[in-house]
Amino acid sequence: MIIAGRALLGVVVLALWQAAHLALGAAWIASPIDILGRLAEITASGELLRHTQATLTESAFGFLLGGGAGILLPFGLRLSPRLTAALDPFFAAATGVPKLALAPLLILWFGIGIVSKVAFVAAVVFFFLFFSTLAGVRSIEPQLAAAVRVLGAREWTVTWEIAWHTALPYIFAGLKVALPRAISAAVVGEFIAADRGLGYYINNARAMADTVGLFTGVVLVTLLVLAIDAGLERLQARSLAWRPLARDVGV
Amino acid sequence: MRPGRALWDRLALAVAALALWQLASLAFGPHWFSPPLATGRRFVELFWNGELLRHAQYTLLAAAGGFLLGGVPGALIPFALRRAPRLGAVLDPYLVAGYGMPKLALAPLFILWFGIELASKVVLVASIVFFLVFFSTAAGVRGVDLRLVAMARVAGASERAVARHVVWPGAVPYIFAGLRISLPYAIGAAVVGEMISANRGLGYLIQAASQDFDTTNVFVGLLALTVLIVAVNVIVEAAERWLLRWRPVDVTPVRRLASAT
Amino acid sequence: MSAAAPPVLEVQRLGKRFEARAGRAEAFWAIRDLSFVVGEGELLTIVGPSGSGKSTLLNLISQIDGPTEGEIRFREQAIAGPTSGALRPGWDRQFGYVTQEDTLLPWRTLGENVLFPLRVQGGLSAETRQRAARLIQAAGLEGFERYYPHELSGGMRKRGALIRTLVYDPPVILMDEPFGALDAQTRTQLQADLLRLWNLGRKTIVFVTHDIAEAIALGDRTLVFTRAPARVQSEHRIPIPRPRDVRNIYVADGFAEMYERIRKELE
Repeated sequence: MIIAGRALLGVVVLALWQAAHLALGAAWIASPIDILGRLAEITASGELLRHTQATLTESAFGFLLGGGAGILLPFGLRLSPRLTAALDPFFAAATGVPKLALAPLLILWFGIGIVSKVAFVAAVVFFFLFFSTLAGVRSIEPQLAAAVRVLGAREWTVTWEIAWHTALPYIFAGLKVALPRAISAAVVGEFIAADRGLGYYINNARAMADTVGLFTGVVLVTLLVLAIDAGLERLQARSLAWRPLARDVGV
Repeated sequence: MRPGRALWDRLALAVAALALWQLASLAFGPHWFSPPLATGRRFVELFWNGELLRHAQYTLLAAAGGFLLGGVPGALIPFALRRAPRLGAVLDPYLVAGYGMPKLALAPLFILWFGIELASKVVLVASIVFFLVFFSTAAGVRGVDLRLVAMARVAGASERAVARHVVWPGAVPYIFAGLRISLPYAIGAAVVGEMISANRGLGYLIQAASQDFDTTNVFVGLLALTVLIVAVNVIVEAAERWLLRWRPVDVTPVRRLASAT
Repeated sequence: MSAAAPPVLEVQRLGKRFEARAGRAEAFWAIRDLSFVVGEGELLTIVGPSGSGKSTLLNLISQIDGPTEGEIRFREQAIAGPTSGALRPGWDRQFGYVTQEDTLLPWRTLGENVLFPLRVQGGLSAETRQRAARLIQAAGLEGFERYYPHELSGGMRKRGALIRTLVYDPPVILMDEPFGALDAQTRTQLQADLLRLWNLGRKTIVFVTHDIAEAIALGDRTLVFTRAPARVQSEHRIPIPRPRDVRNIYVADGFAEMYERIRKELE
């Protein structure tokens, strides 16, 4: 009954959408049919591939760069609890500042090409993964570490075995949040200054009063992000099979 | 760890950071790193001639407006949905999709609809704040201890009374948590909206400076933004502590973990 | 115990003081002027009021923490105190330590957990794997090697922790209220299992508990500790002959008298 309700709601939304298009005009609302048409068009012309590729490349490289640093740094910090304690208020300040505000600076430094977007994505992703992983590393139970040391493990083993495995659920939580954010960061970066990418396509369409193009781009980005969300969900369930109940850490 | 020692460590770190900054600007040049002194001077200059305040005001206005526009429905709708659980179930996947969708990607759409003035930024902020506050509040409403509700009903309370005396107080901490979490996002969204298209605001300041290759102004803008956010945080924390002074539990860890943007 | 053989463990005037910090208003001594010896192959139980002293002692012996004063000697060598060097947890695998909390690695299967000390010490071979398999069998855990800890019952996890310690054959095993978190039936069963496994290898065991009956049922000798700052209040040789029937220990000769005596001391 509920599923029927959802389907009905979906149909109603589409109908309202079409109605709004007819009522307010094509300049304000593009009709769903036109959007589908444009999708077919840019797929055929290769434009879709070109822009999606650019955005995904920026997201992927930035994600690897920022994610790698964000995951590894807390393990390094673990070796100096004094440094971690001293850095604490700086962390708090850093969380408050929107990393997205760094976009113009990065564009100033690296130009409007792909590099600035990669740097931008890296900056955004870094903070997500850093704080998630840090929380995970901090959650290590000291008695587990002590027990393992008594069994004869050296520091390296303690780090790998305990710190890594304890932090893993937190890292996954961070990844789940950061991956879609990576795409959206790439898109936002492209809004501000770029020469290709889905964000560029969207903003360019707006500048040229191409409402259909604008809507098409937005729909594409949304589908991309939702698909990645679903994929990550599945991946996490498999890798954390050893956990008893709730799969997610409540971040 | 004695508190005194941490303080010295932090001072040392701050000094080291400043030194690194100066070094970077010497090594890479002022185009890449505006030197600390020059940045500080320009900051003071723009502060005294009112420009910084003007831009900050605009950004704050956009953030606050969107915060109210999104926060109020976000906080209230879960209570209404509580009385219509089937409607809530029907809406659920759409709301989750709305939450998962990057609202910032919609910025050009809002600009198309609402123009390049304040309104489009307000709507952008509202769209983000709504979902954050909604889901946080919904968790609070859902998590209300059913035994308390049952007890209230047994004691003869009407639905309205139950809502007011059991559900509401139980959910209030979650509402606050949602509001706190969305605060940095609100300011961030306003700034991003300004960067895409505006003629005022800290985001505009930073973006315009970048286009003019004025590194110093970019640094000043970022610095001003940081100061603004820290100030807002301090005020909000104080307000929350005062409003919730009857509560023993601390929500700060939730905020810090969630607001890593 | 032969009087001529040197004690395997000697604790001399041991003291541990914890500093004041957040959550604790003042510094306090958990242990002060604590002295006792443990003979080779002995099962020594330590009973005392629930408090920090007993666990602290085991932490000091196992080298997880260092003493503020006093000395600990293992086989005539000073391992803790003013003359010894840095802490070496486990003292090169000479100590085993079974705690009350569950310290099995939750992300490893039972089998992997049991093999863990061997893997870490670089000693995984066909022979050691066989030893592990035999221990798993002796503990009644055969067939559960691929299970994760959260899929096992509390008693099974405890047995797993126990054989994880036995697998690398440390001469001295420290146990800190290991059966405290289990229900009465499981506890009795595990006590019997412990005695049986101890009999196979005749290791030295130092067993800490707040349960007087458990202390009498298991030990060759029992030390009664005072409250913090803990020191040895009294020492009792348990006259009940081995092998002991743990399930029916209450009716064993001499049990009731010993129980009453210790209970009065702890009042």
